[in-house]
Amino acid sequence: MRKIFKQKRIKTGHFLDGGIESVINIFLVLIIIVCSFKAFNWILFVADWTVVTKNLHLYALGSYPREYQWRPLTWLLLLFSTILLTLFKNKSKLVRRFIYCIWIILIPAGIILHSGGIGLAPVQTRYWGGLSLTILLTICSAAFALPIGILLALGRQSDMFLVRNPCKLYVELVRAIPLIAVLFFGQLLIPLFLPVDIELNRVLRAIIAFTLFSAAYVAEDIRSGLQSIPKTQKEAAQALGLSNIHVMQFIVLPQALRIALPALTNQAIGLLQNTSLMAILGLVELLGITRSLLANPEFIGRYLEAYIWIGFVYWFTCTAMALISNRLEKDLSPDKSDRINL
Amino acid sequence: MGLKSKVIQLERVKAFWKTLLGVSILTTGCAKLDTSSVSRLELIQNRGELHCGVSGKIPGFSFLGSDGNYEGFDVDICKAMAAAFLGDDKKVQYRPLTAPERFTALKTGEIDVLSRNTTFNLSRDSVGGNGVTFAPVVFHDGQGLMVKEESNVLSIDDLESSDICVGSGTTTEQNLNDTFQEKKLSYTPIKYQDLNQVIAGYLQGRCRAMTSDLSQLSAARSGFENPEKHIILNTVMSKEPLAPASIGGDQKLSDAIRWVIYALIQAEELNINKKNINLKLVEAKSNKNLTTLRRFLGVDGALGNKLGLENDFVVKIIQSTGNYADIYTRNLGPGTSVPIKRGLNALYKDGGVLISPPMK
Repeated sequence: MRKIFKQKRIKTGHFLDGGIESVINIFLVLIIIVCSFKAFNWILFVADWTVVTKNLHLYALGSYPREYQWRPLTWLLLLFSTILLTLFKNKSKLVRRFIYCIWIILIPAGIILHSGGIGLAPVQTRYWGGLSLTILLTICSAAFALPIGILLALGRQSDMFLVRNPCKLYVELVRAIPLIAVLFFGQLLIPLFLPVDIELNRVLRAIIAFTLFSAAYVAEDIRSGLQSIPKTQKEAAQALGLSNIHVMQFIVLPQALRIALPALTNQAIGLLQNTSLMAILGLVELLGITRSLLANPEFIGRYLEAYIWIGFVYWFTCTAMALISNRLEKDLSPDKSDRINL
Repeated sequence: MGLKSKVIQLERVKAFWKTLLGVSILTTGCAKLDTSSVSRLELIQNRGELHCGVSGKIPGFSFLGSDGNYEGFDVDICKAMAAAFLGDDKKVQYRPLTAPERFTALKTGEIDVLSRNTTFNLSRDSVGGNGVTFAPVVFHDGQGLMVKEESNVLSIDDLESSDICVGSGTTTEQNLNDTFQEKKLSYTPIKYQDLNQVIAGYLQGRCRAMTSDLSQLSAARSGFENPEKHIILNTVMSKEPLAPASIGGDQKLSDAIRWVIYALIQAEELNINKKNINLKLVEAKSNKNLTTLRRFLGVDGALGNKLGLENDFVVKIIQSTGNYADIYTRNLGPGTSVPIKRGLNALYKDGGVLISPPMK
């Protein structure tokens, strides 16, 4: 019996060679054809996409004041072109060196373009929304969580008792609390403790909550990177006369970060998807705006179209993030390390 | 200006004490209500903007229009208040709030008024409960039944021994049971987890009728392929009076809100609406015998001043949102896609329960 199975398994490379497997194969192909036909039929002829086409600006920017909408739009375009530039393979040396600066500049640029300042009229955070808010929440939280995470990871490895244990405690504590509880605390309880006229805006509160939460996870990812660097490297560097800081800066951290990169990407994608939790806490980010739009009598019952659409938007954004991380991994891989200066 | 700086100064001193208080609260872990002696009404007027908490996710009541502005019945109530307090219905900031955060947002002062499909009940009103102050009921919702036209069901009695789709574990299920027991009718409940499943079950023909709140039934129906083929029965099985709310212990603000709602109802009773308000105003100014009208529109007397508002606040309200009937027809009337019969929400003289105390 076992022999027959073995023989069959070898043959599976062929599609139609009689027997039960070809029946299964034909059956599966039929299912795929029927399903994709039905799906395309629904997408092209049955579905009513007005809920998407009529509200594209809302999905992108939320109810941002119309006269200033060019600002977040510019930022989104800038972001998109930077992504394309990053993914472009044959970059000149100049571009390659500046692409990191551009990414870093994009963060304050995003905040300024959204909130105003430097000659731009101020726009309060309650008008922010849609995709631009989702991305801004993700990028800001990630940008703050990374350095905090690195410090926590280094702290956990420190020899000093008073540094090591608080870091450990923080990581263990935050990891043991569900994100939604942290967000509820940030959105509902912090205002109760503050005096009435001091108002921390909700976007800032959300960013703080996401940052504090992700930092713990980032710290663990980086710690796994740090631990994979053999101790001998550190000792060799110290023998060469490098100070502790220099050992970290030039020898350990660059390697540890590269090793932790896939895990960090995982975190970043998780963070983007976690921002959708803010929809149940009153921020009108991508999911929140969808739920508000579905209450519009004009679009009642268009759940399927709206949710498939934002599913696609989330997929697109996450794929872009994954591609960037792939690119970064390749750029940082040791055999091409002469290409860039860290 | 004098008042403004005084308010700011007061607030600064308070801020210091409250920061201290905040720290002590952090350690004890319990919250304390804002015991401000300056009414929020003055804060709103100094700020020049009303912060109004809405749901943003309820068809007909509050939702995001394609132009990015909030619309709906609850939103119009906010507009009426802004018109009364500030003379301009555009000076409102809407905060989309979810059910768990609505009362916290009121307590923390993040919003001035909550206009978000909130059922008025004892435990929310009392100091021992949520401790908010409710305005008069603006919409009497209640649990209803929807049937297909072809089923020939005209009243609840025709539903004897039939299947009824209902969301499980809710008060909806309980109310259904109570009503049918009272009428000594037998039925089989087909239970689902949430409203969308109830709707799907009903459309697939698993049951003869489905039950939920009237406003939700209407919203669900407007999403159907042939809305006119479904009928909402007149039976109302529970009371869900929805009312705006403000923070407890601020009489000036709650009074002002209360009389804005009453003004909307009173205006309908006096047949003053968005179209004829200017005519009525001219009429009142020219004819000294129309004392009720003159007082109501602020030509005579000082009703507005007593509330801390302009004397012609009623005129401002009607000019911007119209009277109660205007607001109702615009958002929930027969021409909209979420039509709900006025029923209990008609004036007392038309068989409903809406009535305004005299505005004297």
